[in-house]
Amino acid sequence: MTTNLLLYARSRALPVTVGVLIAAAPATAWFADWLVSGSGLGPRARQPLVVLAPLLVSAAIGASLYTHSEELDRTAVRPWWPRRACQLLLLTAVAAGLLAMAVPGESQVYGAYAMARNVLGSVGVTALAAALIGARLSWLPMLVHTGAVYFTARAEPGGPGAVWAWSVQPGPQRAAWWTAAALFAAGTCLYALRGARPEGPGSRR
Amino acid sequence: MNSAASVRKLTVRHRRTTALDAVDLAFGTGVHGLLGPNGAGKTSLIRVLATVAPPTSGRVELLGGDVSAPAHRTAVRRRLGYLPQEFGYYPGFTVREFVAYVAWLKEMPRAAASAAVEGAVARVGLTDRIDAKIRTLSGGMVRRVGIAQAIVNDPDLLLLDEPTAGLDPEQRVDFRALLRELGRDATVIVSTHLVEDVAAACTEVTLIGAGRVAYRGTPHALAALGEEAGAEDFGDNPIERGYAVALRRHRSGAAPTTSGWSVTR
Repeated sequence: MTTNLLLYARSRALPVTVGVLIAAAPATAWFADWLVSGSGLGPRARQPLVVLAPLLVSAAIGASLYTHSEELDRTAVRPWWPRRACQLLLLTAVAAGLLAMAVPGESQVYGAYAMARNVLGSVGVTALAAALIGARLSWLPMLVHTGAVYFTARAEPGGPGAVWAWSVQPGPQRAAWWTAAALFAAGTCLYALRGARPEGPGSRR
Repeated sequence: MNSAASVRKLTVRHRRTTALDAVDLAFGTGVHGLLGPNGAGKTSLIRVLATVAPPTSGRVELLGGDVSAPAHRTAVRRRLGYLPQEFGYYPGFTVREFVAYVAWLKEMPRAAASAAVEGAVARVGLTDRIDAKIRTLSGGMVRRVGIAQAIVNDPDLLLLDEPTAGLDPEQRVDFRALLRELGRDATVIVSTHLVEDVAAACTEVTLIGAGRVAYRGTPHALAALGEEAGAEDFGDNPIERGYAVALRRHRSGAAPTTSGWSVTR
């Protein structure tokens, strides 16, 4: 069983992905430290990090949703959805846990709460994108959203903007949490049920 | 009729084009060649039989049951071997790992799997490369890896979509011998463009043209059809001539030419 799980993990590039997630945590912690001590804004200075680190890890997770042997995988005896759901949930848990630990203290102000929320939301958007446009470009919609929000929306806490600009809200904003959670639920369900959109050899329909 | 695979009124549509149009076919133990021009519907038929694509309409029975029932489909997949026209593989996999991955997809018992992997790789003559990364192999070798993964579970129903593409003449001779051996106990369906493969290895030929069955019979009967119709203007051997005659008749609207609709046992 372990050998088979290892084969499955390698076929989805999971060792590399987990490596990226693990490496992202100390890097984030270091940047957070640097931003807080260098800017004089206090914990608020962590905002760009709370937006960008989840974007990066969700891109790595999105890449691991790619399937090389799509056509053969369809002949699998077992249904795929439990494996897909497990893979996505585990990677998200690792990413959210590690990144939340990388921004300790002042959890209400761009700290652990906002980080965990943004990991959920980003992974949700990325998983939706993998199911709809394919895993290879699954990072793109989240990048576009982040760019749009970051340069247009003001990070005023609350209000209707908290739904659209969920990723730049401070930790406890309820509307932002709802949006991120809904995106994560939708992304996980759609990806688990449908898998990444076929884009490898023999993917014509 | 005791057949391992049968379809009734099978229709497959891709958006607006009809790949298969109300096809009735049955395949029993033996090696069945699937011939036809590009786009005739061979791959669509194989994909439906491999349970990777659902039919638009019609009934598909494999290994004694309707595959629209999930429980039976699951049982069929354990006993099915499939070589797609193009199969992807994780670039880091060795031959052994890739074939083991497919054995795992088919839920082979772990104790039996590693010996089965080595056995399948030996049958395609790649034992000396079993621990080489697939991406370092030549095109013909990759094709043989594809055949190895298709036979790793000793399938009762084996579907091969252009298995000989990329094989050199010597490898093709070996492959045909393997086909004949597999066809003794299993139902093997081979889609190909190479009529020599059909002549040498198949017990029955099904010719598909524009989504319908254009001809069914033995390779010998197909060759005879070419001879009697006097199609000297086409092809270098009797089967190629028979292929041309059957297709022409099919295109001109004649009913399917058949000789022996019964399933070859």
